[in-house]
Amino acid sequence: MPVPGVPILEGLYPSTLDMYPFEAKEFNRVHQFYENLRENRFTTTKCTKCGTVSFPPRVVCPKCNSDSLEWVDLPTKGKVLRFTEELAGVPLGFESPLIHARIELEDGRKLISRVINCKEGQLKEGDTVKLAVYDVPPMIIEKRGGVMEEAPRVFFAFEPVK
Amino acid sequence: MADRNVCIVGAGMDRWGVREASIIDMAQEAAKDCFDDVPALKKDDIDGLIFASSYCGRSAFQVNAAPVVAERIGIKPTSICTRVDTLCAGGSSGIIMATGLIKAGMADVVMVSGGEKLYTPQRWETYYSEMASIDHDWDGAQGMGLPPPFFSMTAQDHMKRYGTTKEQLSAVSVKNRRNGANNPKAQFQKAVTIEEVINARAVVPPLGLFDCTPITDGCAAVILVSEDKAKELTDRPLVYIRGTAQASLHSMSMNWLGEDLSDWVHLRTAAKKAFERARVSPEDVDVAQTHDCFTISEIIEMEDLGFCRKGEGGAFVESGQNDFGGKVPVNTDGGLLSCGHPFGATGIRQAMEIFFQLQGRAINQAKDAKIGLTHNLSGLNVEHTILIYGREP
Ligand SMILES: [Zn+2]
Repeated sequence: MPVPGVPILEGLYPSTLDMYPFEAKEFNRVHQFYENLRENRFTTTKCTKCGTVSFPPRVVCPKCNSDSLEWVDLPTKGKVLRFTEELAGVPLGFESPLIHARIELEDGRKLISRVINCKEGQLKEGDTVKLAVYDVPPMIIEKRGGVMEEAPRVFFAFEPVK
Repeated sequence: MADRNVCIVGAGMDRWGVREASIIDMAQEAAKDCFDDVPALKKDDIDGLIFASSYCGRSAFQVNAAPVVAERIGIKPTSICTRVDTLCAGGSSGIIMATGLIKAGMADVVMVSGGEKLYTPQRWETYYSEMASIDHDWDGAQGMGLPPPFFSMTAQDHMKRYGTTKEQLSAVSVKNRRNGANNPKAQFQKAVTIEEVINARAVVPPLGLFDCTPITDGCAAVILVSEDKAKELTDRPLVYIRGTAQASLHSMSMNWLGEDLSDWVHLRTAAKKAFERARVSPEDVDVAQTHDCFTISEIIEMEDLGFCRKGEGGAFVESGQNDFGGKVPVNTDGGLLSCGHPFGATGIRQAMEIFFQLQGRAINQAKDAKIGLTHNLSGLNVEHTILIYGREP
């Protein structure tokens, strides 16, 4: 399909407009996070020198600068502290209702995540939610000789526990 | 050599709103308005340009925009010519950096300009780009780029914890829209009633249409100089940059430091430092422009800037303590809720309003204003920036 206004982009993948991370190992040293997601594990890095666990995962310990880090599991369940349901004006790439919640994981960490597989009006504060891993469109990586390779990707949200 | 004192000597902006103009066009309009404000300044005097824009790389396909702006407006910087990006605080960052350079003698006359062209030919692209404006790989990919859901949860936290009401949120909008009604540069120049605010279409409850800043095209510019140079250029009262701070304590939502989303630790951290640097306290501030991206923001800012106690922001705004005749008039030019919010320009627009207030020539003048404050929060509340201005150094 030609791209209106930009005919030279026909059939090309503009990665600068990609809404998801460059997850492939060629572009990302925390690639293992996404590999673990595929096994329904929500993980991050822990420093083997000083024990600091930091999220998001990283390649150098933010506390002691050690680059000796290991992968550890975070809880995959938590409870909803607050949430919002966006019905109109949902940005491109997301369906209505677009639900976001501030979630307290079972270890006390709190993050904001999308809540999927959830109908409008269904969610309540205090509800238990669990990690939900889903497929997102692959990245297209140019390999030697101009060969285009698809790198499959997943991303995460949370979903109500039935 | 002792540090030099730094002053603003001129300020200007274009008409903000949905503009039939490019960012480079608007940068020229804002610069003209700024040059007109300080007729004694010659273009050759300017040896620095700091241009604040976050989206020009996306919405104009133009990175390194500073040389382009310098050439179009006809200046030839020789000390500094650069672009800065702090999203909603870019203009304030530019003023902080220019102040440091002039203080240290590394530049003499610096224009700090900034702005955004946010309305692209197709609307989806504007919203889509917002996913780049927060921690992209983590919060961005969760579709959190557009801030209303985040500030909805912030408002819910404040309402549940302190009993803040929808009427109190609305009072901020009514005040700021009234202040913007006679501002010829504002995106919205029409007052709204409390009933209109309360009954407006919901964006993300409890936030409605009038609780949220719009999407805006616009630019603004100020001229910063050393005190000696300022005395050459103007007979008006001098306005000094007294103290600044910019605090970033986290980036991703998992690392939020407050007890809940209405607890802005990073704002208190920045405020403490800015007040210390400026050698004043919150009670000394005569007029302030604080970042009213949402009505709830201004309420929490009153608390964490120290204008009232934590939890009392709702009552503070409802009783008019942040209005003329109250403790500290806030957003006297209409704020983001009236003027709009072209990110890189906002801190400069706030500086311009404080500059006019401290010189006694603002459209809605606060009485005997001698100390002024500007404040921005950036992105999904990941950074706070404060500048304190005074009639004395
Ligand atoms: Zn460590």
